[in-house]
Amino acid sequence: MSSHSPILPDPLPLREALRGLRHVLRRGGHSLTETLPVETLPEPAAKVAEKLLREAESLARNIDTAASSLAKFVLGDQVNDAMHLNIPAAAKDGASPFATSFYVALQSALPRLGVKDAFVSEIAAYESYEQSMRLNHADAADLAADLMMRLLENRVLRDLRPAVLRIPASAVEAVAVFAVLLWQQSNWSYSESEEALDAATDIAIAINAEVAQSQGDSGPAQLAALFRKYACHV
Amino acid sequence: MSDRPVWRGDLPPTNEPLRLAVRRLRWFKQAFLRFAQACGQELGCDFAVDEGKLADVFIRWIDAIEQQKPKDKAERRAFFEFAAALMLRELTADMPLKAQGPATKADHGSAAFFWPEGYCCTTFCLSVHAAAKEQEFHQATELDAAFDDLRHWWSLRENAHQDAAFSAGFLQVLLGNKPNWAMPDVFVARFKTEMEP
Repeated sequence: MSSHSPILPDPLPLREALRGLRHVLRRGGHSLTETLPVETLPEPAAKVAEKLLREAESLARNIDTAASSLAKFVLGDQVNDAMHLNIPAAAKDGASPFATSFYVALQSALPRLGVKDAFVSEIAAYESYEQSMRLNHADAADLAADLMMRLLENRVLRDLRPAVLRIPASAVEAVAVFAVLLWQQSNWSYSESEEALDAATDIAIAINAEVAQSQGDSGPAQLAALFRKYACHV
Repeated sequence: MSDRPVWRGDLPPTNEPLRLAVRRLRWFKQAFLRFAQACGQELGCDFAVDEGKLADVFIRWIDAIEQQKPKDKAERRAFFEFAAALMLRELTADMPLKAQGPATKADHGSAAFFWPEGYCCTTFCLSVHAAAKEQEFHQATELDAAFDDLRHWWSLRENAHQDAAFSAGFLQVLLGNKPNWAMPDVFVARFKTEMEP
């Protein structure tokens, strides 16, 4: 893949940095509560540890809220607008709407796969689209297949924290990315977008073995065939 | 023929022809969930639906349709009925719903009482088929008298556990056809036994 970095629109790196900060703070809070075996400590150590833990959690929550508020203050409505699920236009200047839509959709799809928490990189989605659009693609399925390989290579999904996974852990990244790209190619009205994303995710889960196997040299062709086959069934 | 009309349940609205809508997972799932709820109310028992299994059923059904779909347009109507049979095959192969108690409102001698899950899945397939057939061909669906015969349902329950293909033959019987019991889930083989003496 090309190492060339495109010029990004100004708010994107800042948004990414703030999300990164929020992710680390939230993850830190979870790790603290899950790794400290307070209940196994004898008294009075347990009481002291519990108090400390509560204070640490409160601190993390406050910083998290501050980071979220800062993001909203700096970026205006962009953070909230990103909650709307739209089909991005497959156009030369479509990187920004693609990245925004992909970010929101991937965040929404992860819980259905059994992922409790993860960092989704909007910048990786932006760069992947920019890279992909430098090539000519026969159809939307071809474009999606190329995009999928680049999104995985650019690590659009990082630091996954599974709850109860519905598929093998090794397949989660590919299946999640496949689900969102399948959704973006399928036909749905605005009011159906969430149901369609659920359906695309369920299809991706059902064919997870095929998706996971579609890597390597013949990967793009196999992925394009899967997209062509299932986009009309979402 | 049975006097009983095909129960329509409460299929969700769609702007697409039903034959297309049913091949979209989001409509199929919504239709099945609504149907299971309505059927549960009718029978006096709640059904728990495993959406993961339902998605697997749908994908296997889509694959089966793709594999068996005839190229000859003259066979389109026959394949319409066959597609419903394949749907029941996949539903009974890995049942995606479970009754949460006995069907308290169903007659004790009825299929719905002794096997609520099988009854619900079968009537769902019949319901979707009947609605799509009416839309495409302006034809009503009549049920065979076998629908009211408990022995057929016993047979379905016993045989479907061993070989889900039996379910495909069972649905064809309910639609008034004579399936090829050697290969009840193979479309191109469906006439072989009929031509035999």
